[in-house]
Amino acid sequence: MKGLLIHGVCHAFGDNKVLDKVAVVVPAGELVCLLGPSGCGKSTLLRIAAGLEVLQEGSVVIDEVTVASNTVHVEPQDRRIGFMFQDYALFPHLTVLDNVTFGMKYLPPEKAKARAMDMLAQVGMTDQISKPPHMLSGGQQQRVALARALAPEPKLLLLDEPFSGLDTNMRARIREETLGVLKECGVATLMVTHDPEEAMFMADRIKILGRDGKILQAARPHEIYYHPKHEFVAKLFGLMNRFDGVVDNARVETPLGSVAAPDMAEGLKVQVLIRPEGIVLASSENANGTPLELLSTHLLGHDNVVRLRLASGQKGEIYVRVHHAFEPELAMGIKAKIDPDYAFVFPVEAGQ
Amino acid sequence: MTGGQSLSGRTRRHLKIDGWTLGTAAISLAVMLPILAVILLAFSPGDDIWGHLSSTVLPLYVANTVQLMIGVGCGTFLIGVGGAWLVTMYRFPGKAVFEWALLLPMAMPAYVIAYVYTDILEYAGPVQGALRDLFGWTSVRQYWFPEIRSLGGAISMMTLVLYPYVYLLSRAAFLEQSVGVLEASRVLGRNQWQSFYSVALPLARPAIVIGISLVLMETLNDFGTVDFFAVYTLTLGIFDVWMNMSNIAGAAQLASLMLLFVIALVLVERFSRHNKWFHQTTSTYKDLPGYELVGMKGWLALFVCSFPVLLGFIFPSGVLLTYAVTHFDRAVNAVVLESAGNSLLLSGTAAVIAVLVAIFMAYGVRIKGGRALKVLTRLASMGYAVPGSVLAVGVIAVLASLDNTIDDFMRQNFGFSTGLMFSGTIAAVIFAYLVRFLALSFGTVEASLTKITPSMDGAARTLGHGAFSTLRRVHMPLMRTSILTAAMLVFVDGMKELPLTIILRPFNFQTLATYVHQFASDEQLGEASLAALTIVGTGIVPVILLSYVIRKSRPGQETR
Repeated sequence: MKGLLIHGVCHAFGDNKVLDKVAVVVPAGELVCLLGPSGCGKSTLLRIAAGLEVLQEGSVVIDEVTVASNTVHVEPQDRRIGFMFQDYALFPHLTVLDNVTFGMKYLPPEKAKARAMDMLAQVGMTDQISKPPHMLSGGQQQRVALARALAPEPKLLLLDEPFSGLDTNMRARIREETLGVLKECGVATLMVTHDPEEAMFMADRIKILGRDGKILQAARPHEIYYHPKHEFVAKLFGLMNRFDGVVDNARVETPLGSVAAPDMAEGLKVQVLIRPEGIVLASSENANGTPLELLSTHLLGHDNVVRLRLASGQKGEIYVRVHHAFEPELAMGIKAKIDPDYAFVFPVEAGQ
Repeated sequence: MTGGQSLSGRTRRHLKIDGWTLGTAAISLAVMLPILAVILLAFSPGDDIWGHLSSTVLPLYVANTVQLMIGVGCGTFLIGVGGAWLVTMYRFPGKAVFEWALLLPMAMPAYVIAYVYTDILEYAGPVQGALRDLFGWTSVRQYWFPEIRSLGGAISMMTLVLYPYVYLLSRAAFLEQSVGVLEASRVLGRNQWQSFYSVALPLARPAIVIGISLVLMETLNDFGTVDFFAVYTLTLGIFDVWMNMSNIAGAAQLASLMLLFVIALVLVERFSRHNKWFHQTTSTYKDLPGYELVGMKGWLALFVCSFPVLLGFIFPSGVLLTYAVTHFDRAVNAVVLESAGNSLLLSGTAAVIAVLVAIFMAYGVRIKGGRALKVLTRLASMGYAVPGSVLAVGVIAVLASLDNTIDDFMRQNFGFSTGLMFSGTIAAVIFAYLVRFLALSFGTVEASLTKITPSMDGAARTLGHGAFSTLRRVHMPLMRTSILTAAMLVFVDGMKELPLTIILRPFNFQTLATYVHQFASDEQLGEASLAALTIVGTGIVPVILLSYVIRKSRPGQETR
């Protein structure tokens, strides 16, 4: 198979285990995102794939050649990979053009230059080629770094938080451009990020790495959002409403109605997590559902966050996200139902 | 982001003995050997004169050394910290000039101003002569005049040229302090002086302590001044026991005693460096207030700051310059030119080697990492603390036993004698310079290498460049200025170096420093003037560089 094959990788810094039997497959032409909280070892996995960190256990195969295992360690310069660093790591003493040609010493200078110009054209940077990196904006530096990584036609591209240095407005645009360039090259890409939205946008498939260094779920973005296999995965996308209950007849009762809990042992203590957009509000007289009391509404732009509590006076706040300006006529007459697509049941773990 | 930001294979399961570790181990062994040899020699059985020494001159040596250290320590503290506080916190006439001018005396070796002031202040000198003419005195018994060739004189000379270490470090520390904490102190009811005393000074304390430890290391290293003033310190004692009593074991015993002083200083310095960075609690780096000192206060500040610059640099340079002009015929001669050539050769070679070795060690630590390498490099940069006299004893001992071993081997196996191959050669002097100055080049190169983000290495490696190619194409160009700085620092210190050169040089081999020493101690300052000025002139270069660096050192003003 063309592409990257990581198998059974374990890694520890002293006693701190950051990767535990991690497996990742990235076929050529696909973009896989490694999503996880900071400090979870996802950058380490990239560095292992690149050969910048020496493998401790497992194996790394690129285009059917084993580059790292118990007995093999191919030096990073011999792996034919592209690596884009979080801080871009552009060489400050070289111009934009020299940065991009730096990785093509196997080509004669004119050919390297032609190839670099092609790459710079692809990222729209041909008019800045003789500038030193520090004269470029953050977005421009990111583009040059991408061109530099792709210019030597790597078998594999590794991206380490490639958009985290950009401000919010810039980020969305550069993300789109980058995705376009990558799809055109068709290179196998492994990207690391801690931003779920970014992963959802970029990835063909997402791997979620937990704090203990284990892969918690690997699936397409849709699956990750609508069918999280783990409480941690469900919570990645922000605040959740939580109700605790007990499985009874394969269902769990919550103050807002009952939720299906298939494949769970009867009598098990569980938590029901409901996304803020998974609670449907109605404010008309004859709607049915659980009556709620409005606390406040916060317009965020395209979304509206509504804070409520149960009319029965039970403790705890309920967060609801609605996609229109929410101005209920009667503050007292709000009723709520659960949209089962956004409600997930997980066992309550000890200590919670 | 995880802790895995180093490029090292520090998590490797097997300790690999590679070229970097081996090379660094060899270097640190070479540095340690002379120091170990001193200790070994001191404990070797032989004509033990320790008992004799301790009942006669030893108490005097120790007392003089301790008094010298206390005197120089206090003097440099007052001038260094006071000057730093004035120029960082206040505006007064000439402040902008004093910011860098206060560093000037650094260019002046203590022995050079000792010769100048003796020439001026001794009985036959112009000052006493003028006083005698003025008051009609005819003999030394009729008046009292301070004797320059004394312990007090030595303290003054060394204070005048060494205080810039304290100034430099405390100024940097004051500049680093967020103006926020000082403003907080003012708002909480302390006046300027109380704020200095209770906030700024404690915050700068680690830096000041480092400065004073460096000053005291230089004090212990000084040979020229104490020799000329006949102040019997441990350094002079080593020379005395060795040269005049021909007792190298006794010299080694004194040297070991001196090492105890040094170890104490190194520990104090290391401890302070460890605690150097108080965590800044605010990140506001506004311009420092720059309180205006008006009227008398301004002039007082001007006077306080000009005093050390005048006495430590301008006046002695002026005297030397006058001599160089009036005695030009005698100041320029074949011997001086040859000495200058020798100085260039020794210092230049030492600088080049020291920088190459420093790059090797610093890059090895970067790409291999690991505790072993770190410890080895620390050991290899120990030499800066060891006084020249002590090091000289060690180098002689090491080279003599090396020579003897080779000679024995050759005689037994090939039937001819090689004699002394290393002892008393230029190579011996250069080796000693390297041991003493490696810390300078290593520190400079390592500091600049650490500033290069590890992802630079990663980028170069993933773009197909190996370790050596990365060093050549990425690190070396980025470090160019620091490499030059490192070479220059070693070069300048080599030009000034006296005790090591005097002991280890080949017979009849003169450098500028030994030439100045020989003629100036003979009270022929005219002959020595041009040579001395040359040493001072080279010493100015790093001072200019330092003053440039210190002006850029304020964190808030740093731009990429």
